[in-house]
Amino acid sequence: MTPLFRAILIIASIGTLIGIVRKVRNAKVQIESSVFWIGFSTLLLFLSIFPQVAEAVADLLGIYSTVNFIFLFVIFVLFIHQFTNSIKISQLEDRIKELTQEIAVRELRKKDLESFEEEKKNEENNSNRM
Amino acid sequence: MKEVLVIIPAYNEQDNIKRVVDNLICNYPQYDYIVVNDGSRDHTRRICRENNYKLLDLPINLGLAGGFQAGMKYAYRAGYKYAIQFDADGQHKPEYIEMMLKKIKEGYDIVIGSRFVERKKPLSLRMLGSRLISGAIRLTTGSKIQDPTSGMRMFSRKIIKECAINMNYGPEPDTVSFLIKNGAVVAEVQVEMDERIAGQSYLTAFKSVFYMIRMLTSIIIIQNFRKRDKRYLEL
Repeated sequence: MTPLFRAILIIASIGTLIGIVRKVRNAKVQIESSVFWIGFSTLLLFLSIFPQVAEAVADLLGIYSTVNFIFLFVIFVLFIHQFTNSIKISQLEDRIKELTQEIAVRELRKKDLESFEEEKKNEENNSNRM
Repeated sequence: MKEVLVIIPAYNEQDNIKRVVDNLICNYPQYDYIVVNDGSRDHTRRICRENNYKLLDLPINLGLAGGFQAGMKYAYRAGYKYAIQFDADGQHKPEYIEMMLKKIKEGYDIVIGSRFVERKKPLSLRMLGSRLISGAIRLTTGSKIQDPTSGMRMFSRKIIKECAINMNYGPEPDTVSFLIKNGAVVAEVQVEMDERIAGQSYLTAFKSVFYMIRMLTSIIIIQNFRKRDKRYLEL
């Protein structure tokens, strides 16, 4: 890895760390989701400060250049994250749908019950008068 | 209205809920209670309706944090002085609520029903997790919490409001750690807990590894950067 490439990696990972910490600080993100970004950027930081580790792993996997290993690694992690994200989003959409329907149905049911009770009361009044 | 609200989050607890709530109603009428049905897929909802339990019925499953927060929202709106988190599976014994209440009235913000105040922690894998979390809290706050994973916690009105309106206040050790860091005073009271009699725990074996990673990162790193929302101060 060239020094410039390492510098870019270091800056990018520190930037990510600062960004996510600021979001947590202002309560804009749930801690559960921030754990991934903190772990990921710390790992990237580690690899760029100690390129020997990445070199060793690249060697082990038979990848010619360390940079290629870093690319593969980043793509792979983001790939998995994107996959789980997409599943989460579709579940989220389903839950919103369910919630919206539930609220609407409950409201109508409440009206149903109210009008049913009113009818009953009217009937009672009528029969009393007779 | 009584001063204590017992919040019972319930997710798929059809085998336990009746025993737990009936015990509270019959033997501990000095406390109010509320069951939070967290979108259960079994008969929990039906059992609560049939028995006329006081019920917050969530249409979808929010998880323990969301369900508990719903209970805290109710406690806050209804004006309760104290709220206690209480398991629906019968692990927690209501006879200890009185001691915890006495303790919190001495001026504490949070009182934890702890298994290890007077007793030693056993050397099991489960308790290794508890030790690690205790250690992390000690490292970052300086306070010694013997049983941070105990789910039996009593909160004062101040904390109720804070938990009710904010994000990232799940009923977990990292929230306790954050609050201690921000000046909350926490005490522990020795309690006994039963093993689960029926049903499945929220934490399965695989999930507990991820849970530990999340808790430790959260306590050791993330909580140090959090800003406390000051809105809770205007009670």
